[in-house]
Amino acid sequence: MKSLRLPRSPKVIIGLVIVGFFIIMTVIGPWLAPYNPSSTAFAPLLSPSAHHWLGTTSLGQDIFSQLLVGARATMVVALLAGLAATILSMTVGIAAGYLGGMSDEGLSLLSNVFLAIPGVPLLIVIDSYLPVSSRSNFFVIGLIISLTGWAWGARVLRAQTMSLRNRDFVEAARIIGEKRTRIMFTEVAPNLLPVLASSFLFTVLYAIGAYVTLAYIGLTSTAVWNWGTMLYWAQANNAPLSGEWYWFVPPGICIALVGTGLALVNFGIDEFINPRLRAGGLTSRQRRKLGLPRRIRLGLTPVIHSTSKRTVVAAPAKLVSR
Amino acid sequence: MIADPLKTHAAAAATESPLRRVAPVHARHEFVLEVNNFSVDYGVGEDMVRAVNDVTLKLRRSQVLGIAGESGSGKSTLVYAMTRLLRAPGVISGGDVTLNLANEGDLDDVTPLSLVTASERELRNIRWSHVSIVLQSALSALNPVLRVGREFNEVLKTHRKGMTRSQRHDRSVELLKMVGLNEDRLARFPHELSGGQRQRIMIALALALDPELVIMDEPTTALDVVTQREIINELNDLRSRYGFAMIFITHDLSLLIELADEIVVMYAGAIVERAGASDLYEAPRHPYTFGLLNSFPPLHGERRELAGIPGSPPDLAELPKGCSFAPRCPFVMPRCRLEAPPLTNIDGLDRSVACWLHIGGPSVRVPVELSREMSPLRTRFTALEDRA
Amino acid sequence: MRMLARRLALYIVTAWVAITANFLLPRMMPGNPIQTLIGKITGTVTPNEIRAIRLSFGLGFHQGLIAQYFTYLTQLLHGNFGVSITLGAPVSAILRQSVPWTVGLIGLSTIFSFAIGTFGGALLGWSRGSRLDALIPAATFFQAVPYFFLATVMLLLFGSDLHWFPVLGAYSQTVTPGWNLAYVSSVIRYGELPLIAIVMSSLAGWMLGMRNMMITMIGEDFVLMAVAKGLPRRKVIWHAARNAILPSIANLSLAIGLVVSGALLVELVFNYPGVGDLLLQAVLNEDYPLIQGIFLVITLAVLAANFLADIVYLWLDPRTRTVAAV
Repeated sequence: MKSLRLPRSPKVIIGLVIVGFFIIMTVIGPWLAPYNPSSTAFAPLLSPSAHHWLGTTSLGQDIFSQLLVGARATMVVALLAGLAATILSMTVGIAAGYLGGMSDEGLSLLSNVFLAIPGVPLLIVIDSYLPVSSRSNFFVIGLIISLTGWAWGARVLRAQTMSLRNRDFVEAARIIGEKRTRIMFTEVAPNLLPVLASSFLFTVLYAIGAYVTLAYIGLTSTAVWNWGTMLYWAQANNAPLSGEWYWFVPPGICIALVGTGLALVNFGIDEFINPRLRAGGLTSRQRRKLGLPRRIRLGLTPVIHSTSKRTVVAAPAKLVSR
Repeated sequence: MIADPLKTHAAAAATESPLRRVAPVHARHEFVLEVNNFSVDYGVGEDMVRAVNDVTLKLRRSQVLGIAGESGSGKSTLVYAMTRLLRAPGVISGGDVTLNLANEGDLDDVTPLSLVTASERELRNIRWSHVSIVLQSALSALNPVLRVGREFNEVLKTHRKGMTRSQRHDRSVELLKMVGLNEDRLARFPHELSGGQRQRIMIALALALDPELVIMDEPTTALDVVTQREIINELNDLRSRYGFAMIFITHDLSLLIELADEIVVMYAGAIVERAGASDLYEAPRHPYTFGLLNSFPPLHGERRELAGIPGSPPDLAELPKGCSFAPRCPFVMPRCRLEAPPLTNIDGLDRSVACWLHIGGPSVRVPVELSREMSPLRTRFTALEDRA
Repeated sequence: MRMLARRLALYIVTAWVAITANFLLPRMMPGNPIQTLIGKITGTVTPNEIRAIRLSFGLGFHQGLIAQYFTYLTQLLHGNFGVSITLGAPVSAILRQSVPWTVGLIGLSTIFSFAIGTFGGALLGWSRGSRLDALIPAATFFQAVPYFFLATVMLLLFGSDLHWFPVLGAYSQTVTPGWNLAYVSSVIRYGELPLIAIVMSSLAGWMLGMRNMMITMIGEDFVLMAVAKGLPRRKVIWHAARNAILPSIANLSLAIGLVVSGALLVELVFNYPGVGDLLLQAVLNEDYPLIQGIFLVITLAVLAANFLADIVYLWLDPRTRTVAAV
């Protein structure tokens, strides 16, 4: 098992910082919020000010509080959905890749079908049938989002499992007589961790988009504050065309930022999985200082004249007296 | 020369095979490639590792130079760096490589080109038309989504702009015939061909523009023994017919004995011995060469105990002081661990070795295994006197 | 060809699954939505329409589940998608009007996005380490922005504030539909901003994926070979790109799903007379026949696009065609 090395790439560090920031917001957001987000006590459509950092909605609600409180629902549902989807894709993908044969055929068919059906339209159909009372339940929403987003991870995990299955250490375990399920858990699964992590992050990314889309259309309960609902209200009250940017821009930016953070962390995992993607060692400034060209060009091996670390001793032959 | 439509008028003027021409006076005409004090590193600064250390060699026209050594000896790094094809983080850290190009095959019109300082355009001009390369794995060297014929068409189109499409096709067919393949192979994809067929195509491709120098990087390593033998024979045949110089890299010294004119043995990035092929085989001087020869049983001759070489190749980042081979040498002396022996000419002939046993002065007793007599009859390199 | 047959079979199965899901979902949900629906609309629509709706759900007479299923299937085959309760017209007629707009918009934007994205990605991958790398964080950010958000911002910026583009609708109210120049140019003009919005949202995905594949390909021997052959740089890039593009096409099914979802919302923002706006209205009014109809049409269109992509992939990657080596 490769040891976990701390990521050095700035991209990944920025990504982790962003995601960390929003996780913190999820936890302490509602506590930090200055006002009750649903409270209509204030004057409507105020521009950002010291009292209301992001102004107020057309109903007189504080937008900043909505943003802070809304983080929780958005992130929690997305994380739940990501978790559920990853469990689903693990089960289907690893089993399909490892068992092979008819099981593989059947499970692959299942994942391919779910992959081909467009996710969000299906989500909309399912959600529209849900009784309104269920729509505020995080678990229910998370579950149906995961039902539409697990297929991609299953496919990737299946491919990875298949390539691992034929590796020597798995073969060795099989020869010793380990049970199949045990092999799957103890030998195959740990090597799948990077792919799993990447798949999880990707699914969370999808889940945020799906949840926000549902909220924007109005398919989630308006009693629960999330960033998508904010956009729904903003759109319903014609905020974009009226120039009330402080209402609809912040939630959109937050969504984009979380997504960007997740994507950046995913880059790091990609680079871990595929070493070729890792940035080559030296920054362009370092290269210039050493006399190297700024970019590595294929077919133009760079030429430098450095002091040699080890010189060939061109000493004259000396008679060695014994 | 190979009948090349654009060159027929020039070739007509030089109807004699270059092999039979009178030996030219200047080194430029005699040597197609001159490598001087060439060094290649991986990485720069603190983590730098020297992969090729101060290599000097010369390659005569139409000569075959074999480079032998274990993995990590620097043989592949050397040739890729020479042609500026070495990938990052490889860096050329010293020395020069000069290609003496004969324009249009005319040995009176030779231009030297330093590959180390050449521009991208100059490199592109001479690549494939004067120097071509056969990579180790033909399956990965051919674009998997393109038909084989397109690879041929591409080189011909790039470097011989005057050819028409049907001329290019004819030439491709001719090249395939040269390596014993049917023309229908042109329409195939790489994955549809066997390993031997692919390697033959690589060779045909390498010869497409009638280059002066062909570099082969372990071309037969991935093949079975029978196919390997066939290809070596074909290479011999092609070379004697078309007169290109060849550098053949391998870890299997026995292949070089019959294929090469001169052999260079590399260890830990430096040349440890250089000699004519038969001289090397009959009378190895360096202990490493001796070890290598004893690792491959010959099919004929007396039965010998197979020795091999104890130990493993050194870590280039942590080379020992003194001779790099000292830790594994069965004839090691105290001096070997202190000072690295320079590559020095010995036996008064065109062979050199980097070993204190032979260059340490008359007081050193040379082991009997390393002091065999060379046979007086030598078919190659007889009367080659001057070098510039 | 066997590959294609397998893919076709997959799509047929998928279509069947979608159709069956449409049938089963309302019956699985607590509260019997269908009865509620029919109860709601009785009196507001004609008895014929009620009958059509019942049939489209498979409720012919009091039948068992299996019989209902077959009724449902037969109705579908006859094109009876039910009647929209909000618009009072057969769903099939409504769809016939809006679907072309959606297909045109999404189709064109996908083509543009794919082309620009893979081309840009190839350049990014090749010029790794150059100043172009600054595009990567920007592309990542754009990829994370929800489609409708970007569309809204663009609407605001370019439509309302700067008046560069017309907003709202597919063509100017002043022209008459038909094959005349005024209409066609108006259609193009009105379609530009939605198209740009969709392209900008989906571009990054193609670009980053292609970049990663290019970097992997450049490490392959055949690209070094292309350089060794003395080919001009653009030909070397082509060799690598020709291989690097394959996964992008193979993953089209995933990508198209995302693009379609996003594009529907963009239509919403721009009031484009496609399927998106329709969907919103249907959802708000719990117009199940319309929702189902839209879902089916979208699924079928996506499957068709997938099949096209499979054909293209087969054509581009010869390794999938033959099974054994000589």
